[in-house]
Amino acid sequence: MTIDWWTLGLQTVNVAVLVWLLARFFWRPVSAMIAERQVAAGKELAEAAARQAEAEKALADIAATRAGLAKEREALLVAAAAEADKERAARLEKATREIAALHDAAKAAVTKEREAALASWRGHAATLAVEIAARLLKRLDGAAVRKAFLDELLHEIGGLTQAQRGDLAGGALELVSAVPLTDAEQAQCRAGLAQALGPDLQLAFTVDAAQIAGFVLRGPRLAVSDSWRGDLDRILAELGDDA
Amino acid sequence: MKSPLASTALFHLGPVPVTEAVAVTWAIMALLAAGAWLATRRLSLQPSRLQACLELIVETVDSQIRDTMQAEPPPYRAFIGTLFAFIFVANWSSLVPGVEPPTAHLETDAALALLVFIAVIWFGIRAGGVGGYLATFASPSPLMIPLNFIESLTRTFSLLVRLFGNVMSGVFVIGIVLSLAGLLVPIPLMALDLLTGAVQAYIFAVLAMVFIAGALGEAKSNKRTPT
Repeated sequence: MTIDWWTLGLQTVNVAVLVWLLARFFWRPVSAMIAERQVAAGKELAEAAARQAEAEKALADIAATRAGLAKEREALLVAAAAEADKERAARLEKATREIAALHDAAKAAVTKEREAALASWRGHAATLAVEIAARLLKRLDGAAVRKAFLDELLHEIGGLTQAQRGDLAGGALELVSAVPLTDAEQAQCRAGLAQALGPDLQLAFTVDAAQIAGFVLRGPRLAVSDSWRGDLDRILAELGDDA
Repeated sequence: MKSPLASTALFHLGPVPVTEAVAVTWAIMALLAAGAWLATRRLSLQPSRLQACLELIVETVDSQIRDTMQAEPPPYRAFIGTLFAFIFVANWSSLVPGVEPPTAHLETDAALALLVFIAVIWFGIRAGGVGGYLATFASPSPLMIPLNFIESLTRTFSLLVRLFGNVMSGVFVIGIVLSLAGLLVPIPLMALDLLTGAVQAYIFAVLAMVFIAGALGEAKSNKRTPT
């Protein structure tokens, strides 16, 4: 067995050239395409991971927003409940005040009305009582009664001060009686008054049935009354003041 | 019957005889190069079935390189892959009537073994430098330098003999059986020869990876810890 060195050399060169040819046309292009696909796949995986992370972040944001909405809703409900409680309390207090005010006003109105009614009835009662008393006292209008009233009038004039007496006696006097006086009674009155006020007395006699009984002595600036009408008016005024 | 050990010159290019093995090798080269060019003209990110098959081949070669050499495939892919592809196609070229596999001739196997020998030196020097690679012969002891040197030659010779013996014997046996028994009798032997051819291509490529990886590992360790 011999070796053909030319063939050995040619085959060596041939295989080396084949190595170069396949490296040029097969191994490098295919491996480059594999690497390119791996890069593309890696890029797509990275993009997918980024999208996934983005989606997870969006999901977390939505969850946080939902939690925030729930919290906000709860806070709004609490605030609304507190506001409602406050409004209810305010309205309740206002209603209570209004009720109390209405109650007080009604009570005051009732009291006032009752007082007015009471006063009215008291006035009617007093008027009626005075009327009854006046009618009863008319029956007592006799000479003795007039004498007693004259004495009482003179007693009152006697109780006046000197200045009051001056005011009373400073002009014409008018002696009012419930019934016309007899001459004797007029003389008796004139004598008593002259004694109390002085001798220069200008006295005129008038009749006023409203006086019931008694006398009213009217001067230019002062009047002295001692009649049942005056007493009843005073009593009636006192009853009115008491009411 | 013609002896498979004999190389017949088909023609001469000046002083250079062009044998049948060389002519078949050229045909195989043309077939592989043209096929590779045609197959890789329209590569895209959306692979066709053909492109998927091509990528499967590349990834398988890469996987074998990673598993065997414990290194990244790009520097060795073209050499190892082409060795396997050429030997595989050359072994299976016997399917074509009248064609004798180039690997059944000593010169072709010697050329392949010589390329592996050169590749071991080249990748060894590239990994650890000239000193680093030469230091691998003194591993584990300078006393081993002669033995390591002889080993580097004998393992190359073993590559040559293994491939040549297996392919040549297959062709020889088929020729004998064909001449003795008739037309269809050698078919099972031809099928066995195809299996043997594929296995031998794989073994040759794996042994080339092992030899290169051995040179790489020792050269790298010598480069890191110079003695």
